[in-house]
Amino acid sequence: MKKRVFAVMTVAAVAASMAAGSVCMAEERTTFTVGFDAEYPPYGYMDENGEYTGFDLELAQAVCDMQGWELVKTPIDWDSKDMELNSGAIDCIWNGFTLNGREDDYTWSVPYVDNSQVIVVSETAGIEDLAGLEGKIVGVQAASAALDLLSDGGDQADLAATFGTLQQFPEYNSAFIELQAGSIDAIAMDIGVAQYQLKEKEGFKILDEALNSEQYAIGFRLGDEELCNTVNDSLFALLEDGTFDELAEKYELTDMVCLGDELTEAVADEEVVETETEVAAE
Amino acid sequence: MNFTVMLEQLGNGMLKSLGIFLLTLVFSLPLGLLISFGRMSKNKLLQNIVKIYISIMRGTPLMLQLLVVYFGPYYLFGMRIGGSYRFIAIIVGFALNYAAYFAEIYRSGIESMPVGQYEAAQVLGYSKTQCFFRIIFPQVVKRILPSITNEVITLVKDTSLSFSLAYAEMFTIAKQIAASETTFIPFVVAGIFYYVFNLVVAVTMEKIEKKLSYYQ
Repeated sequence: MKKRVFAVMTVAAVAASMAAGSVCMAEERTTFTVGFDAEYPPYGYMDENGEYTGFDLELAQAVCDMQGWELVKTPIDWDSKDMELNSGAIDCIWNGFTLNGREDDYTWSVPYVDNSQVIVVSETAGIEDLAGLEGKIVGVQAASAALDLLSDGGDQADLAATFGTLQQFPEYNSAFIELQAGSIDAIAMDIGVAQYQLKEKEGFKILDEALNSEQYAIGFRLGDEELCNTVNDSLFALLEDGTFDELAEKYELTDMVCLGDELTEAVADEEVVETETEVAAE
Repeated sequence: MNFTVMLEQLGNGMLKSLGIFLLTLVFSLPLGLLISFGRMSKNKLLQNIVKIYISIMRGTPLMLQLLVVYFGPYYLFGMRIGGSYRFIAIIVGFALNYAAYFAEIYRSGIESMPVGQYEAAQVLGYSKTQCFFRIIFPQVVKRILPSITNEVITLVKDTSLSFSLAYAEMFTIAKQIAASETTFIPFVVAGIFYYVFNLVVAVTMEKIEKKLSYYQ
């Protein structure tokens, strides 16, 4: 019995010393720990050489290079992402992380990718639009934005009510295997991931009708404004020097990235207003 | 990713699985013996505490226990976790869980020893400790070896549960490769790796069993 008490105390002591260690780190940051789902190409995944890479991770690396931090890539179980973040095991969730619907749960960076949730079906299934999903079995990743959208209280909850079953999966690969095998009829997922999967696989298509449009941003612990602002500044600097667009091109996401778009749009709006005034003046 | 890289990655994962496996055994086998003493103690209070411990460890999923050990310090005491604590949590979780099973196996062995042996040892002037470690325990080990082998083989496969803490052991890596390559092959390879690992364990245990059967 005494031994066990001792064991528990040892564990507590180890944990405490680590806590102390991380507090020290907070004073002067030397590392930047990014939590990501390593089964989420093209944003975060294992590459040809067995290294973790992806659009988001390379972007994180660029931010770290700029700030002189050491990037620590920590793959996490997507279901446990909040626990990992709140407990301090990671500094942020940076992995095709949907902002919409989670606005109040994290301190968010600027959005950098325009995403939409889409439905992938087999080409031969004869499903052409969202209405065609009635009574069908639809797969979705657990704890994903698509699931939030389709659950009670989500924007597409009414649509989900017409499904036969909403089946949750830990990751997309097994969902695709089931779709291939015919045990499910459709998968609800992010368009970027869908496009990556469809490049490698034949016989699937993305429905033209999307479930929604939304944005990706980096999620920091609620109240961690300082870190968030630093990363934001770095992102804009990377946009300015072209690194951001280079990376987007490398991962074929050029059509989807939106960092800084609001600024351009605002400028565009002003021009429109000016033209209208001119017309009015004439 | 070509096949060699995949093997290399899974091989690295295998080493990590092996690390969990060995460390768990190193901690849980002695701890299990201590717990079995508590379980058989004449002190009712201690006995009941150990009973509850074993009941909880066997009655809840190991995956849940791993999550509790890893995230518990934060939720209970507000401690910041991170860094190497992930691995420590896995070893602590596994060792606590397996010790409970081993304790019951030890108990089955120890309680199966005839009382006459204790009496004979006492007559011959052995102290209680001497009697246990020189006479009883060696026979217990022989008797419980098949049950221990069972648990050890289960442990090899259970190491894959540490994917729930996203520790990069073999199964986690197999899942990641499967996702990025969109194929099923990593799982097949991982399956073969686990099988070979267990084959080695089974053969080793059989050899030990033969070595210990010196009276036959």
